[in-house]
Amino acid sequence: MSDCVLAFDGIGQDFPAPGQRTTIRVLDGISFEVERGKFIAVIGPSGCGKSTLLQMAAGLLAPTRGAVRHRGRKVTSVNTEVGFVPQQAQLFPWKTLAENVELPLLLRGVASSERRERVAKALGAVGLDGFERHFPSQLSGGMQKRGSIARTLVYRPDIILMDEPFGALDAQTRMVMQNDLQTLSLEAGATIVFVTHDITEAVLLADHVVVLSQRPSRLLANIPIDLPRPRNMFEPFRNAGFEAAYDAVWTEFRSQIDIGRAH
Amino acid sequence: MTDVAYDPLSSAEQPAIQPRSAWAARLTHGLLALLPGLAFLIFWQWASGRLIKEIYVSKPTAIAARLYEIFASGEIYPHLWTTGQELVLGYVIGVTGGVVGGYALGRSPQLATIFEPYVMAFYGVPKIALAPLFVIWFGIGMWSKVALASIMVFFLVFYNVFAGVRSVDRELVNLTLVMGANQRQLTYHVFLPAAAPFVMLGMRMAIPYSVIGVIVGEFTSSTQGLGLFIHEASATYDPAGVFAGIVILLAFVMIAGALAGRLERRLLRWRTPSGHGPSDI
Repeated sequence: MSDCVLAFDGIGQDFPAPGQRTTIRVLDGISFEVERGKFIAVIGPSGCGKSTLLQMAAGLLAPTRGAVRHRGRKVTSVNTEVGFVPQQAQLFPWKTLAENVELPLLLRGVASSERRERVAKALGAVGLDGFERHFPSQLSGGMQKRGSIARTLVYRPDIILMDEPFGALDAQTRMVMQNDLQTLSLEAGATIVFVTHDITEAVLLADHVVVLSQRPSRLLANIPIDLPRPRNMFEPFRNAGFEAAYDAVWTEFRSQIDIGRAH
Repeated sequence: MTDVAYDPLSSAEQPAIQPRSAWAARLTHGLLALLPGLAFLIFWQWASGRLIKEIYVSKPTAIAARLYEIFASGEIYPHLWTTGQELVLGYVIGVTGGVVGGYALGRSPQLATIFEPYVMAFYGVPKIALAPLFVIWFGIGMWSKVALASIMVFFLVFYNVFAGVRSVDRELVNLTLVMGANQRQLTYHVFLPAAAPFVMLGMRMAIPYSVIGVIVGEFTSSTQGLGLFIHEASATYDPAGVFAGIVILLAFVMIAGALAGRLERRLLRWRTPSGHGPSDI
């Protein structure tokens, strides 16, 4: 595939078991590719190592076996061409919102006038203009999340890695954020790898849903979702074909959920 | 937009307090805080000579008179000058050493595993016991006191900064690296600001310790300084002189503490009033 920007190639990962000499196998031979401009959702039961995959793509963790390739180049050190949106907003509490969003540009040596322009644009895109001089502690959880996304969009990374970004938000804020993310990613033509444990969220947002199994994780399926865009995030069932798509993911996923067992 | 900002500066629900009444409220608060101190002074004045002999406890009016006397005659200025220099030098050297050492060991796990046991061991040594040794090493002059003050300050600041740097969220560091930070930028944008509340706490707590170090050093042996002044007053049965010296030290600690508090509020204005920083002791 010529359009492939990110490739996970036979990824295996062992973690040392606490207090023992043996290791726990977390990931076992995971391979999939991410095409340019596509939205990939990675879904799996909790503890299956979904987030570990993102850390590998960002070059923060080296896989025990296999390799991650970004545009054909093997990722061996911190990958500054990606953007990372973590589960918690992780804005710098000692910087104002504008300073937070400005930081990646500052670190990359962008000139001051261009910085100001791009920060204003990024904050506008996530609907946060007027809050430039607020500190994160003065913003609500949803606004912090928007700030975190603006801080990633502002330097136009090649790929955006999102680790359960909306997991900690309340249901309403979450729908609004999902809708805004769809709009933003369509406008920017961004390539996104989005980790979640929510099937509805995965089906609504993604072009492909990658389903992982329980530990040791194998790739169960890579399911294309062909619902037309823009999709209705507030009433999922109103999207033509939603039920069939949900069903396709659920069929793979249901075997991985055992009711009544501790995770 | 369903999000609502919490903005303490422009909360519309709360009626704005009139500036004049706010000023009056502050004044009342200040006066209320003065009351116990005033009551204590009055009791002291009354009890001296009635309940306890004046030779043991002196009395507030005598201390005030003695203070006026030593400032008017200029007797106290050489002592103040010496002690002031010792305090500033000891504090600055101790804080600098503590910040640099705590930061280095906090950032480098290898250095920490090698040096932490030693720092821990020396931390346990009562620093006061080193005073006679420092006189042998650095002489009877200023530098033995500077050494004692700075070593007391060092450990306090060191442990606070060490803990502060180690408590920095690993994910935040990783995030900054992905954004494109090099080590120098990481220090400036993440580690230093994250450790700032701990540095400030250590600096504020270190003020009285620097005073203890300097005064104990001067008690041990010296040719000039407030500690010597207090020591001599005590040796010549002059309790008013002892208390006068203590009042000067008290004033110094309070002023320095207030300055440090202002600096802290300025540097850490990003923290919410109910912030979750390191706890004070």
